[in-house]
Amino acid sequence: MTQCRFNGVSRELPESPDATLIDVIRDREGLTGAKLVCGAGVCGACTVLLDGAPVASCLLPAKAAAGRSVVTIEGIGAGALHPVQKAFMALDALQCGFCTPGFIVESVAFHDEWRAKKGAAVPTREEIAAALSGHLCRCGAYDNILRAVAEACAGRFDGGDAARSPRVEARDKVAGAAKYTVDIRHDRQFEGVVFRSRIAHAKIEALDFAEALAIPGVAAAISLLGEDRTVRYVGQQIAAVAAADRETALRACAAIKVQYRELPPVVGMDAARMPTAPEIFAGSRKSAGNASEGMAMPTPWRRNVRGPSSAFSLKAKKARNWIAAAREAGDPLLFEATFRTGAQQHCSLEPHAAVARFDGDRLTVHVSTQAVFELKKLIAKRFKLDPSHVRVIATHVGGGFGSKATLGIETVAAIELARAAKAPVRVVFDRHEELSVAGYRPGAEMNIALLADRDGRLKALSLAAHGDTGASVNSTIAALARLIYPAEAKDLSDFDVVSNLPPGAPFRAPGGPPMAFALEQAVDEAALRLKTDPIALRKRWDDNPNRRRLYEWAQGLSAWRNAAPPASKTGRYRRGVGVAAGYWLYLWQPGSKVQLSVESGRIVVASAAQDIGTGSRTVLANTIAREFELEPHEVEVRIGDSSLPEGPGSGGSRTTASLVPPALLAAQKLKQAVQQRTRREPQAGSNAPWREMIAACPDFSVSSERPEDARTLAPGVRSPLGEVGLMGHIFGWMMRRFSHIAIGAGAPSSVQVVEVEVDTLLGHVRVLEVHTGIAVGKLAAPALAQSQASGAIVQGVGYALYEGREVDLQTGDVLTAGMEDYRLPGVADTPLIDLHFDEGGFDHVLGGGVGIGEVATVPTAAAIANAVRNATGVRPKEIPLRPDRMLRLLSEGART
Amino acid sequence: MSAPMMIADGKAIELRAGGTDLSERRRSGVSRGSLIDIAPTPDMTGIDCSANGAARIGALVTIDRIANDPRIAAAYPGLAAAAGGLATPQIRRVATIGGNLAQHSRCWYYRNPHTACLKKHGSICSARGGNHLYGVIFDLGPCVAPHPSTMAAALLAYDARIDTDRRADLTIAQLLGDGANGAVDNALEPGETITRVELPPPTLGERALYKRAISRASAEWPLVEIVARAVVADGSLRLLRLAAGGVAPVPLRLAAAEAAAQGAAATGATIARVVEQSTAGAKPLAMTAYKLDLLKGLVRDLMERLLA
Repeated sequence: MTQCRFNGVSRELPESPDATLIDVIRDREGLTGAKLVCGAGVCGACTVLLDGAPVASCLLPAKAAAGRSVVTIEGIGAGALHPVQKAFMALDALQCGFCTPGFIVESVAFHDEWRAKKGAAVPTREEIAAALSGHLCRCGAYDNILRAVAEACAGRFDGGDAARSPRVEARDKVAGAAKYTVDIRHDRQFEGVVFRSRIAHAKIEALDFAEALAIPGVAAAISLLGEDRTVRYVGQQIAAVAAADRETALRACAAIKVQYRELPPVVGMDAARMPTAPEIFAGSRKSAGNASEGMAMPTPWRRNVRGPSSAFSLKAKKARNWIAAAREAGDPLLFEATFRTGAQQHCSLEPHAAVARFDGDRLTVHVSTQAVFELKKLIAKRFKLDPSHVRVIATHVGGGFGSKATLGIETVAAIELARAAKAPVRVVFDRHEELSVAGYRPGAEMNIALLADRDGRLKALSLAAHGDTGASVNSTIAALARLIYPAEAKDLSDFDVVSNLPPGAPFRAPGGPPMAFALEQAVDEAALRLKTDPIALRKRWDDNPNRRRLYEWAQGLSAWRNAAPPASKTGRYRRGVGVAAGYWLYLWQPGSKVQLSVESGRIVVASAAQDIGTGSRTVLANTIAREFELEPHEVEVRIGDSSLPEGPGSGGSRTTASLVPPALLAAQKLKQAVQQRTRREPQAGSNAPWREMIAACPDFSVSSERPEDARTLAPGVRSPLGEVGLMGHIFGWMMRRFSHIAIGAGAPSSVQVVEVEVDTLLGHVRVLEVHTGIAVGKLAAPALAQSQASGAIVQGVGYALYEGREVDLQTGDVLTAGMEDYRLPGVADTPLIDLHFDEGGFDHVLGGGVGIGEVATVPTAAAIANAVRNATGVRPKEIPLRPDRMLRLLSEGART
Repeated sequence: MSAPMMIADGKAIELRAGGTDLSERRRSGVSRGSLIDIAPTPDMTGIDCSANGAARIGALVTIDRIANDPRIAAAYPGLAAAAGGLATPQIRRVATIGGNLAQHSRCWYYRNPHTACLKKHGSICSARGGNHLYGVIFDLGPCVAPHPSTMAAALLAYDARIDTDRRADLTIAQLLGDGANGAVDNALEPGETITRVELPPPTLGERALYKRAISRASAEWPLVEIVARAVVADGSLRLLRLAAGGVAPVPLRLAAAEAAAQGAAATGATIARVVEQSTAGAKPLAMTAYKLDLLKGLVRDLMERLLA
C-alpha cells in the first residue's frame, strides 16, 4: 500500500526510500505549516499527527505513513479553531510563530487525550512540560504556552466566540497559514546550496565547476570567494550551486574541484594570543566581520589582537594606580577576578533563507531578515542595481536575535544564482550551517577589578574584556561598564582576538550580558565585603532614576525580603536568591517613516519595517487604534516590504521607538485630514466617531517621519553620550552618520531577582523564579512586551546554564552544530516569571516608550550567578554553568 | 535499527526500523548506502508476558509502548522508567527497542559528515585528541564515545537476552561487544536483524529505579545514566544490579560496586562503600573527570532511594 491520507485526502506516497514525511508534506503537498528546523527530532517544529499520535515528520520515512492518516496543522481547526489554537492566541503563547504549528499539533493531541481521560481536571505545569518536552521555542514563549495549554484543558476556550489575540497576526500563526521565506515557492524555482571550506585557513588556488555543471539538473554555479581568495574558517563560503532540487545541488557541490593551499590555522583565543601565532588578517583586516550593531571604530591591532578600545574610560591611569596600590596593600575592598562567558548561538528556528527572482532588471527577494529597507539599499549597492528596482519582502520572520540584520551569504548566493540560472533560486541554510557559520555572540574573558572605599563608595573600576571573535571584530563589552555605577575612575578596555573560527554577529544586547556577568558579580561581592544588602548598595552606587525606582520595587519583593541567610544552607539541594541590574542604550533610527491611509473606509498603516516575532505589527496597530478609538484588528498593517516608506531595522531595540513617534504624528495629520474630507459628520452622541468618519472618508494618505526627541529632560534623565563627554559625542555622531542609529537620552533598565536551586550532588542548577522589573517607558503593546520580556529571560537562562558552543581547537570545526548538542532551554526549564513594568522615564520620547528586546536579557545570567553564589557560597566564574562546571566549582569551594 | 553491511562499492546497506536515528544520518550524508526496511512479523511487534513473569518484547515494539505497558511497569520498573526517560515523546512513539539497541554513536565527530571517525572507516578517533566533553570514563577501546542506547543499559541490568534472525540468546555484552572494536556500534553481522528481547522473570521483592544526569530538565542525551535494581530483605542487600550508560563504549555493569553490596547491611555505610566502588576501574579522559562525580552522585541518589 502506498497511499496515505493527508488531512483526509488520499494521496500517493513517493517511492524513494529516503523521502521523509516532512519532504512530502511541504514540498509535494504544499502544506508549509510544519517546519523543517533541526532535522534530528529535537525541536518538534515538524510535528504532525500520524493516526492521531504526534510524531516528528523530519525523521519519519514517508513509506511509514502508508495506509495511515496524517493530519498537519492545516487540518486542525480548518473549520473552526481548536480550543488550543484559541488559547495560544488569547494568551500570546507565540512570538515569531515558527515553532507554533508543532507546539499546537502536540498540544491538541495532549488536550484531547487529557480531557477524554481526566475531564475537567487541569494539568500541572510539569505534566504539560513533559508532554511538550520534544518542542523548542527560541523566542522563549514557554510561560504563556504552559498557561495556554492548561487553560484550554480547563475548558476556557470551548466556546464558539471569535478568537481574539493581543497579537494581530496570531491567527495566521496558529493556523499554519503564515508564510515565511522558507515557504516561498515560485514556478521553476531552483534550490541553491553554498559550497563551503573544509579547511580552517587556506588560499584557494583553483576552483573548477565543470563537473558540477555537467550534472543533469544543475542550473548554475558561482564563486563566492573574496578578493584575497582566502578562507579563514571551516565552513567559509567558496561557491554556490543551483539545481532542480537540494539533493542534486549537494551532489554538484561534491563535484566542485577546489585546490587549497593550506595556511597554518590558529583556532581560538588562547592559540591566537600566542606570540608565535601566525597573523590571520595580515593585510586584509577589512574583511573581518562585525560582532556588534554599530560600526567598528578605528583601533590599533597587535597581530591577532585588535585593541584596546578604551574611549569610554575615565581617568584610566588613576584607576590603574589606585587598584595597584590596593592590591599591594591587600585591601579587602578590592575584588579582582577573571570571568568567562561562552559563545551563544542565535539558533533562530527559521534559518537564514532567501528566494531571489529577477523579472527583467527588477529583482524581488524574499529574505528572512531583520531589516527589509536597509537590505534593499545594500543589495542595490552590491549588485549595482537601481534601488527602485529592488524589492525585499519579509512577511513573517522566524526569529533573528541580531543574526539577520545585514546582507548575508544566503541572500548574496540566491541573487547571484538567480541571475546566473535565469530563474528564481531559493537558498535555505541547514541547521549545521545555522549553528556553525551564521553568527554567534562571541565568548569573552573578562578581567575585572572593583575597588570600594572605606565609606562604601565605588572608587575605581577596571574591566578588560577579550572577545573570542573568530573571523570578526568589534566585541564591545567593557565600554558598557561606563554607563552604570559612576566612579571616580574607570579603566575600560575591549579587545578582539581573531582566529580561524567563524565570525561572530550581533546577538541581543551584544556585550551587555557578558559585561553584566562580570560587573554585577563584582558589585555583589562588594556588597558581601561591605556587609551591605546588595540592592541597597546598588541604590547607593547607581544614580539612574529608572533603576532607582526598580530597586525600590525589588526591595519590596517577598522573595528578596524572605531569602534565607547563606549560612543556613547545607544538604544536597540548596536554594539561593540573587539580584542583578542591567541597562541598554535607547536607540532609534532617523528617517523612519510611517504612512497612514484611508482605503475603502479602513485605516491602513504602513512602514518598511518587519516583525521578527517582537511585535512591530501589533505596535503599529495598537498605536493607531488607540488614536482613533478602534480595535487593533480594525487597523490594517502593512510591513515586511521594502517598497513601503522607509522603516527601521529590528535591531538594537530600536523598532518601537522609531515607529511610534511618526505613527502618532501621522495620526494627527490623518485626523485633521479626515475631519476636512469626511462627507458626513458623525452622528451626535456616537461612541465611535472616528470609525464612522473614516468609513465615510475618501481614499488618501499621509506620512510622517520620526521626529527628534524633546530637548527638555526630566530630572536625572541624561544623555549617555553626554555622560561620556567628548568621546561620547564623537561616537554618537559616527553612529548616526554611518550606522543610521541615534542614541537617545535615558537608560532602558532592568533589575532582576532570581531564585535558584542547586543540586550539589549532580551539579544541576534549576532556576525557580525570576522577578523582573523593567523600565522602558510606556508600553505600546503590553501583552507583547510581557511575552518578549519573558522570552528574554528564557534566553538568559539558556546563556547562563545550557548554551555552549564547542569547537575542535585543532581543526576549527564547530562541533555543537546540531540542536541536540547546542542546548536551547526547553519548556520544562522555564522558571516562574513575575514581570513588573515601570512605565515612566521616557517622557521626552513622543509616545513615552522605547524598545524592550535587549534590556530584558542583560541581567539574567548575572542574577543567576549571584543566586548560585548565595546558595552555595561559591562564585560562578564561567558560563554556561553546566553540571561539569558546577561540580568543579563545588569541589574547589570545598577545598578552600 | 541499522547494522552496516559492506558491499562491493564500499557503501553500507542499513536496516531500518523506526528510522529515528537513520533519517538524520541520511539527511546529513553520514549514511549513504542502500536501505532495507525491516518487514514486521507478529513476533516482532508484540509484548508477551508469561505466567512466571518473564517477558518477550518484539524488536519493533516502540519505546512508548514499553514505557506505558502496565505489565512491564510492574515486572521491570527500571526498564519502563528508562524507556519513559529517553528522547522525546515524538521519538518514543516511533523508535523501536531493536532500533534503540542498534543505533549509532551520537559523537559529534561521527555525526558531522566531514570529520574523521573510526566508525566512518577513519583511522583515528578525532574525539580522543580533540573535544571529548561527553566522552567516556571507562576507556575500553580506541573510540571514546559512550554507547547511546539507554535500553541496552536497562536490559543489561535485567540480564535480558537478545534474539536475532540468525542467533538466539545473546547477552547485551555479546550483542554490543566489549568496546574494544572502535569501528562498530555493535557486534551484529552484516544484515543481521534483531528480532526480539527476552527478559527473565523478576526477582521476588525487587525494586528498581532509573535516572539520568543531564544539564536541562529533560529531553537530553544522558551525561551519565544508571538503572539500579535491588532486593532488600531482613535489613540486608540480597541483590544489587547497577548498569551505567554514558560512561563507556558499551553499557557497563558496575561490578565492584555490586560486589561491595552483596549481602551487606542496608545502611549508609554500605551505600558509601558502593558509591566508592562505582568508579573502580574508571580512567577518565582529559575533559571527562566530572563524569566520575556524576556516576558516584547518581549511584548515591539511587541507593538512598532504593534503601529508603
